[in-house]
Amino acid sequence: MSATDLAGLLRDRSLLVCVGPGGVGKTTVAAALGLQAARMGRKTLVLTIDPARRLAAMLGLDGLDDAARSVPLDGVDARAGGRLDAAMLDTGASYDALIHRIAADPDHRARILGNRLYRVMSRSFGAAHAYVAMERLHDALQAGDHDLVVLDTPPTRNALDILDAPGRLAAFLDDGVVRWFVRDPAGGLRGRLFARGGAAATRLLGKLAGAGLVAEMGEFFEAFMSLRAGFQARAEQVQRALRADDSAFVLVSSALGPNLADARFLHDGLVGRGISVRAAVFNRAYTILGADRREVVTEAPPRAAMHAADLAAHIDVDATTRRALAGLDALRAAAAADNLAGQRAIAELTRLLDRTCLKVQAPIFERELQDLPALARLGDDLCAAPFAPY
Amino acid sequence: MNRRSAASAPGLGRLLERRLLLFIGKGGVGKSTVVAALAVEAARRGMRPLIVELGHRASMQPIFAAPRIGHEPTPVTADATVWACNLELERALADHVAGQVKVRAIARAITGNRALQGLLRAAPAVREVVMLDALRMLERHETRGRPTWGPILVDLDATGHALMLLDMPQLLASILADGPLRGLVDVLTGLFTDPARTLLNLVTLPAEIPVQETLELHARLARGAIPLGALFVNQCPPPIDPELRRALPGLLRVAGQAGLGALAGDLELARLAIARDEQVRGLIARLHREVDVPLALLPRLDLHAPGLAALRVLGHAALVELAPAEEDA
Repeated sequence: MSATDLAGLLRDRSLLVCVGPGGVGKTTVAAALGLQAARMGRKTLVLTIDPARRLAAMLGLDGLDDAARSVPLDGVDARAGGRLDAAMLDTGASYDALIHRIAADPDHRARILGNRLYRVMSRSFGAAHAYVAMERLHDALQAGDHDLVVLDTPPTRNALDILDAPGRLAAFLDDGVVRWFVRDPAGGLRGRLFARGGAAATRLLGKLAGAGLVAEMGEFFEAFMSLRAGFQARAEQVQRALRADDSAFVLVSSALGPNLADARFLHDGLVGRGISVRAAVFNRAYTILGADRREVVTEAPPRAAMHAADLAAHIDVDATTRRALAGLDALRAAAAADNLAGQRAIAELTRLLDRTCLKVQAPIFERELQDLPALARLGDDLCAAPFAPY
Repeated sequence: MNRRSAASAPGLGRLLERRLLLFIGKGGVGKSTVVAALAVEAARRGMRPLIVELGHRASMQPIFAAPRIGHEPTPVTADATVWACNLELERALADHVAGQVKVRAIARAITGNRALQGLLRAAPAVREVVMLDALRMLERHETRGRPTWGPILVDLDATGHALMLLDMPQLLASILADGPLRGLVDVLTGLFTDPARTLLNLVTLPAEIPVQETLELHARLARGAIPLGALFVNQCPPPIDPELRRALPGLLRVAGQAGLGALAGDLELARLAIARDEQVRGLIARLHREVDVPLALLPRLDLHAPGLAALRVLGHAALVELAPAEEDA
């Protein structure tokens, strides 16, 4: 499948993963793409990790959480059958929901949820985010309620964790290590600490961290043992889904140097993991200069003399007015120079991208996007036409 | 209400005298650029700044056009006055274990065990503890009886992950009752909560969402134990030509009445720039009112390719505190 425009991608694929540096409007772009797909008649889920209340407000929701909520598509044209749902990853709540899904036995579930280590881990630690994001994605894909899932990811530096998490999870739940804490993994619940092979290691850990923590780790591993196979199976399924033909990675950036450097790092990281970038979205890439908001104006020759001549028929053009018009020229020249530098910086990045990778850009809007119609307009702009690299 | 008087922050002029300067902010606000600029300013003052990045990506490489920046500190300017490093978990972990486990054979057994390495890489909290401990070791490092580095400027990850790192000692204290690790946690807490050595600084942009998030972040941090330094507002737009500002309403009116389409189109740009300028002033006034640390406004530089000369300008501007008189502007 090789879509020739973004609309094609939204029509054909079942998973879009939006990656990119922070502060470029990645969450907004993800929401705009999801809305666009819904307007095309697809049942779409936007899964965000950004706890921005603004996104909820923009979608007309009073909040976002682990459970998918339906976005009222009032005020935008949408084809029949189209639907937009949105959910947000809240690590703690998502973990608890996960345990509820996978631990069938109530006692077992209670032991996990009550474990102090589990509670601290599920709510606090960096690596835990990537695991739960993966699990939530698995849940969304398996449920089959949607034609398309649009996944928003954490800012660049941590986005690759989602791809690396399964490998690390496998290492964390490695047989050899777990056996140090749990004597009889197969038997599970009656396992005891300080199994033969790991006695030295756990004693050492006990000296470092205190015996209490080691005991708690033992309980933690014990509780997780029976779930381990499922964890790994799901992790592998998600990895396959991320790399499947009907999935696509969308790289989102701005036109600013530091953002593009981050985007480049991310692109290389993806390629290094065998994943190609299907589309690059440059958001807030240029200042609108002229009548057509989709045109990127990179040259703004002085027009003060022309404006002065036009004005002379109506008012007395004094020195103050001429200086004001010169100030206007300076403003336009600065914006055009910014646009030019931005287009050149973008072109430098697009040269690295695969030839078939779609490239689209959107202008800087006067205000932050406030509501669904504004989001729909961004979606329209992004789907209008791929731009020719500068 | 101005609560500035209640602040314990040292004032921007003396910020660089602290041993450990941490920088936190939403992704994309230009934290790395601010850190680089302050390091350049510290070097200009004859200090020995070290920029520390915590793995992931070396932002300092493109900023200083430097070759690869790795785990070991390396000079990033031609005159070797600014140094930087990008901590690597494996290396930091080995240093950490060597520092904690005095018997070398046992330390080697730990760092040499592949299964244990896997566990340590994947286990929660390990990365955070190791990174904090690496900062502690850099802070204590001496050359000929004097601290090797000062100030150490730490470019933290984007807000969420940075908070996880900074919250870690307190979280671990709640699950570690005893043992040497608890001792380490207490030492880390001691360093990161000592206002004589450590200051946590915020970086933001003069735009609605970053400012809102900064106010929330500040409120959260003000309740915490890590002393706060300053708030840097990055990429403040240049001032608007005052004559253009004054003439705009009249010109808009004439252009509308006389049907001068080209002029009206151009004036729209000025209208937007002025609206943005007013919004920025409003946001800065709000930060000034609600945040009780010194505020510095950094000019917008060439955003597409910041060079060393630009960093010097920025570093100098970064330590000029916004005068209270500007508050009501």
